[in-house]
Amino acid sequence: MRRTLGASLLVIAFAGCGEEAPRPATVSGARATTPATEASPFDFVDVAAEAGLERVTWAGRPGKDHLLDSAGTGVAFLDFDRDGTLDVFVVNGWRLDGSTLVERGRHALYRGEGGGRFRDVTDAAGVGGNGSWGAAVAVADQDGDGWPDLLVTAFGGLQLFRNRGDGTFADVAPQIGLVAPGWNTGAAFLDADRDGDLDLYVAAYIACSEADVLAAQRTLDWKGQERVAFGPFGLVGAPDHFFKLDAGGRYVDETEPAGLRDQALGFGFGARALDYDRDGDTDLFVANDSDANYLYRNDGAGHFEEVGLWSGVAFDSSGASQACMGIAAGDATGDGLDDLFVSNFSEDHCTLYRAEPGGLFEDVSAAVGISGPTYLPLSWGSALADLDCDGDLDLVIVNGHIYPQVDAHPEHGMSYRQTPLLLENRGGRFADVSAQAGPGFTTARAGRGLAVGDYDDDGDLDLLMSQLDGPPVLLRNDSRGGAWLVVACEVPPGGGPLLGTRVTVAVGGRVQSRDVASGDSYASSHDPRAHFGFGELPGGTVDEVRVSWPDGTESVLRDVPARQILRVVKGSR
Amino acid sequence: MTSSIRTFAVPLAVVVALVAGFGFTRPAQDKIDTATPPALVASYNSLADAILAVKATEANLVRAMLDGGHAHAKALLAQAQAAIDAGKKDEAKLRIESLAALVAQLGAEGDNAVAGVRKRLLDGGHHHNAEGEKQGLYEPGYVIVTKTAKANLLAASKAIAQVASAPDKAALDKAWASVDSAWAEISKAR
Repeated sequence: MRRTLGASLLVIAFAGCGEEAPRPATVSGARATTPATEASPFDFVDVAAEAGLERVTWAGRPGKDHLLDSAGTGVAFLDFDRDGTLDVFVVNGWRLDGSTLVERGRHALYRGEGGGRFRDVTDAAGVGGNGSWGAAVAVADQDGDGWPDLLVTAFGGLQLFRNRGDGTFADVAPQIGLVAPGWNTGAAFLDADRDGDLDLYVAAYIACSEADVLAAQRTLDWKGQERVAFGPFGLVGAPDHFFKLDAGGRYVDETEPAGLRDQALGFGFGARALDYDRDGDTDLFVANDSDANYLYRNDGAGHFEEVGLWSGVAFDSSGASQACMGIAAGDATGDGLDDLFVSNFSEDHCTLYRAEPGGLFEDVSAAVGISGPTYLPLSWGSALADLDCDGDLDLVIVNGHIYPQVDAHPEHGMSYRQTPLLLENRGGRFADVSAQAGPGFTTARAGRGLAVGDYDDDGDLDLLMSQLDGPPVLLRNDSRGGAWLVVACEVPPGGGPLLGTRVTVAVGGRVQSRDVASGDSYASSHDPRAHFGFGELPGGTVDEVRVSWPDGTESVLRDVPARQILRVVKGSR
Repeated sequence: MTSSIRTFAVPLAVVVALVAGFGFTRPAQDKIDTATPPALVASYNSLADAILAVKATEANLVRAMLDGGHAHAKALLAQAQAAIDAGKKDEAKLRIESLAALVAQLGAEGDNAVAGVRKRLLDGGHHHNAEGEKQGLYEPGYVIVTKTAKANLLAASKAIAQVASAPDKAALDKAWASVDSAWAEISKAR
């Protein structure tokens, strides 16, 4: 059924991107950048402290004796109170001193107050956590009541904070069957069997106990120079889980029957739901650290087949497994298909798998200029996003080494704290413009999570990052940019899931699309609204905005003015 | 080692060493024998035999697994070709995709379940393409398929998969030819 939506438009705000300002002195990172030759329009400034995002996220011991100490936590942009202003959620870990637990960090929920300010409402909302060591956050309207809920994965289980709609949440995970002990990592909600509700995939890393973590010693030899945290090879992988939501609203572990058994016991860090073959159902990509990645193809009825080995996304172009951390999906190459990007360990390049017809992929990292600038950094959160609103997807990558001990050996060109990377898309090739992207990109941090969203509603995408043993980082985008459109899709209560929706815009015969999906980046959740840039836009209008809802219905608007936040409600006219 | 065992172990070792030393003492005019006792060398030899036998067994097992996979792949190729001849497009697609999966598994020395076993034998650390790792002939843990053969087989697997959306016998034969050549390289090396 095709529905044409009437003018359900909300013009929220527009603020022109500021002029490039002189930049303060920067802290050098580990990366040897390849400066872009053209002037950069980018300018990012960390405004976290002035915005009120201050709570430190803890990450084990200073020496990072166990891999858990180095894994970090995720961040999310969401609008939990549906007031139209983005809020922020930050997952927290533990602070250790040797084998002594010093502090169980509390997660933080910050309510967007407008004007670029946030207020910590964690206690009032009841989302500080149960004291387990947090890992990732996935945001979705899990129960279909119209309010976004929060899933927090942890070393020690899962918490599902159900949004009551009154500013408070209740952890319902055990009551609805979400039980997964062990070290859980990235998670993705998806409607696997197209029954109108959200199922859940949770990746897991290694099998270890709290005693193992507390007693950890650095025993792995690093370049014959340092003892560093052991693993993941030499340790046993923990199995990923797939939970199917039954008719009674309870989750049932159906990993095996759904064909999602974690056969290699891969060291899983990320899970991204996407319809990579555009056949109308949602598939799954799982990023594994040091093991082959998985690509699970959905047969349309919720049964999956692992096709990663032969579709081109399991290994890099040389056939090698990589230590994958984060995932970014999107049409990086502008050919209408969603490509897959994975962030990887240091001394290895990040990888862009270009989608090809027939559901296949090709590693084009070297050809498009990604390999060089990503070789030395150890990369985590990542996103394909149009950061200069010029109509193509740029690549942002958060970096930081897992071994603090590397700082004692600068001859290797690496450091524990590293600067993030901004790779500008220039006609399908990526140029490293990090050094010209403002102080936000020249300050080194032990970065991990990344969420992208327009928190100040000025039409450009800002960047929320987590770092080990430090407060969040909020990089406000002050770049010069082109015309833009943000499409905020909404599904009324009972109208089925929002996740799986695809938004397509057309201008002058050129088409761009975004999916509303779960699991992108590392342990984090982006602003669920679809953001588009157009560069120069004579006439100032977008020819067509098409929203394809997961049930096959569509909302289509024509001649839509740009530079607005367009609200599209499923079923309305 | 528990603390109580450790408490006794050190003095015990000293006593054993003293007694052993006393036992080996010879009159001053004799040459002092510093050689490792033959029985220990013989034991180490036996252990080396066992280690080498285990390694050979691993190589034989992987080789047998690959041979089985290759035979299965050839059968699937024939079935796919038959399906194409019969105009059964859906069946051909299924066979070709399965063939692509099998060829990828040849390159990866087994499927993900096998990879799960293999990684238990690896030393600690991350697997990434650092310069040191790139220099090796084999991926960590691989015993038969070289890096070059792996890359070739994965490329062949993808070439086969590309035929699945529009099954065509000539295209399939062409893609299979690279499997044949990679397989010949592997067979020659062993």
